Amino acid sequence: MNTTSKTSIYKGITPAALIAVIVMPMVLPSTTLATEILIFALAALGCNLLLGYTGLLSFGQGIFFGGGAYAASLSMIHLNFGLLSALLCAMIVGALLAALVGALAIRRTGIYFVMLTLAFSQMAYFLAYTLSDWTGGDNGLLDVPRPALEIFGIQLADLTSSQAFYGFVAALFMLIFIFARRVIHSPFGSTLVAIRENEGRASAIGFSTSHFKLLAFVISGAITGIAGALYAMLLNFAPLSNIELMMSENILIMTIIGGTGSLLGSLLGAGTIVMLGDILSSIWPRWMIILGIALIAVVLFMPAGLWGGIESLMKRFRESKTSEPDPKLQQEAKS
Amino acid sequence: MSLYLFQALNGIGLGMIYFLISVGLTIIFGLLNFVNFAHGAYYLLGSYLAFTIVSLSGNFWLALLLAPIVVAALAWVTEKTLIQRAYHLPHTFHILITLGIALIIQELSISIWGPIGKTVAAPPSLAGVIQLGDFFYPKYRLFVIAFTAVIALALWFLLERTRFGALVRAGSEDAQTVSLLGTHIHKLFALTFALGVGLAGLAGVLAAPIRGVHPFIGPEVLGLAFVVVVIGGMGSFVGALVGGITVGLVQSMMTTLWPQGASLMIYGAMAIVILMKPYGLFGRA
Repeated sequence: MNTTSKTSIYKGITPAALIAVIVMPMVLPSTTLATEILIFALAALGCNLLLGYTGLLSFGQGIFFGGGAYAASLSMIHLNFGLLSALLCAMIVGALLAALVGALAIRRTGIYFVMLTLAFSQMAYFLAYTLSDWTGGDNGLLDVPRPALEIFGIQLADLTSSQAFYGFVAALFMLIFIFARRVIHSPFGSTLVAIRENEGRASAIGFSTSHFKLLAFVISGAITGIAGALYAMLLNFAPLSNIELMMSENILIMTIIGGTGSLLGSLLGAGTIVMLGDILSSIWPRWMIILGIALIAVVLFMPAGLWGGIESLMKRFRESKTSEPDPKLQQEAKS
Repeated sequence: MSLYLFQALNGIGLGMIYFLISVGLTIIFGLLNFVNFAHGAYYLLGSYLAFTIVSLSGNFWLALLLAPIVVAALAWVTEKTLIQRAYHLPHTFHILITLGIALIIQELSISIWGPIGKTVAAPPSLAGVIQLGDFFYPKYRLFVIAFTAVIALALWFLLERTRFGALVRAGSEDAQTVSLLGTHIHKLFALTFALGVGLAGLAGVLAAPIRGVHPFIGPEVLGLAFVVVVIGGMGSFVGALVGGITVGLVQSMMTTLWPQGASLMIYGAMAIVILMKPYGLFGRA
């Protein structure tokens, strides 16, 4: 009973994401805002794979985000890379950085793991600051192009308009979303959850947990790298703040407030926070106080986040509709 | 030569301030097994309170006395209302909750004191420089070194020679047994949290005349405090002292050469210590 109702919710997830992606540019005040939401939803998705599914609290997401932004921007500026090859470059750099950070960080657990990701995050920031010939340092990397979508030299779409770019980001988002769903519903994904729940037991069964954790890092880094690259293309600019600790914290906060352990939660979290920022920052610059309060409230009282709240509301709604008690359910409850 | 002495003294002064911040963090971790990511924000609050008290009363000494007490009182209230509920949760929850607290304190501070940094003047009796032969050194910085040394001694005495300290140390070993033996452990926890955070507030006051007050300094201070605590060993008093002075000296010696390099080195050292010697240089397994 329980499992069937769960799978029916899960089946609706990809269409729900698709509907959100189609509706967002219609209801939001600007397409750029919708694009920004999808980009941060990707970053949160990457973070969620680590935090929600593997139980790894990483302060290193900004490294992959900033690294992806720099990789795409530099490859387009200096090597004349096209759109797809620049994104591929960002993905590979994100994955490599994540492999490096992950390989070292997963040697420790708990607080020491967190401290290692924190140390690498700070090192990446100061490195980017120092290598100002490449990264532009404090001023950021200016004049990042947004090339047209081309395959084998044939131009498919010009992305200079914000609508066209949104379309491209939306398509990419759906691709990655479906990929992430496939990953978490695969045996690999189940093993990640097993590691989150009880690493000792997972390794006692015979899983090499460090390999699984490392692969989770690599996938997370690749997705986050792509998000960083898209952000640079959106802004035509790769600021130093991409790689700051604050970026890692923001991505974490979006993931947690949206709901760890559910992919739609990442979209919801990114959407809520980016929109709140857009609406409130002009009238109340200190709106981040709300984020602090929300973060504490979610961690203490609503561990499944906003999406978890919606899910339990939906469940209650369904139960009230079928008010007649299900005999099967009663039997199950008795046994 | 005198330039090196100047830089070395600067480094020791800075290091002693780092020690004050870190020792609070390390006591809280040792006894409460609690990871406080809001520590840098309380330091910030100490600095801002010092600014307000000095600009209202014109008396730095009043700020030095009052600001840490106010910060500690606030910490005590936070412990009673919020932190207490989180002790039984995993470390990641501690980190996220205190990250939220840090965000709230930082944004509230900006809405009270504005986004632009403030300066706090050193007390008039400590303004100017002291002269030793052809060597000049700011009086206030010397005072900071002497004052923090006294605080460090007092703290050592408190932790090693008093009943309170004995309880804190016993609690670090086994809080449950201490509680069973009849100590009101919740009271002890709240007091220790307030003490640790109050030390961060004190560091904020002392640092204000040297480095000014910047609304976004919290995360930087927090990062450095964790470097010190990790290098010295979580829960270690001596580790915090040695780690603090080391980090201060490295920063001070590198300021003229390559300031970002100092940060790279410091955080690199932190990573190496965690990987090679996870309990730090002075910590116990």
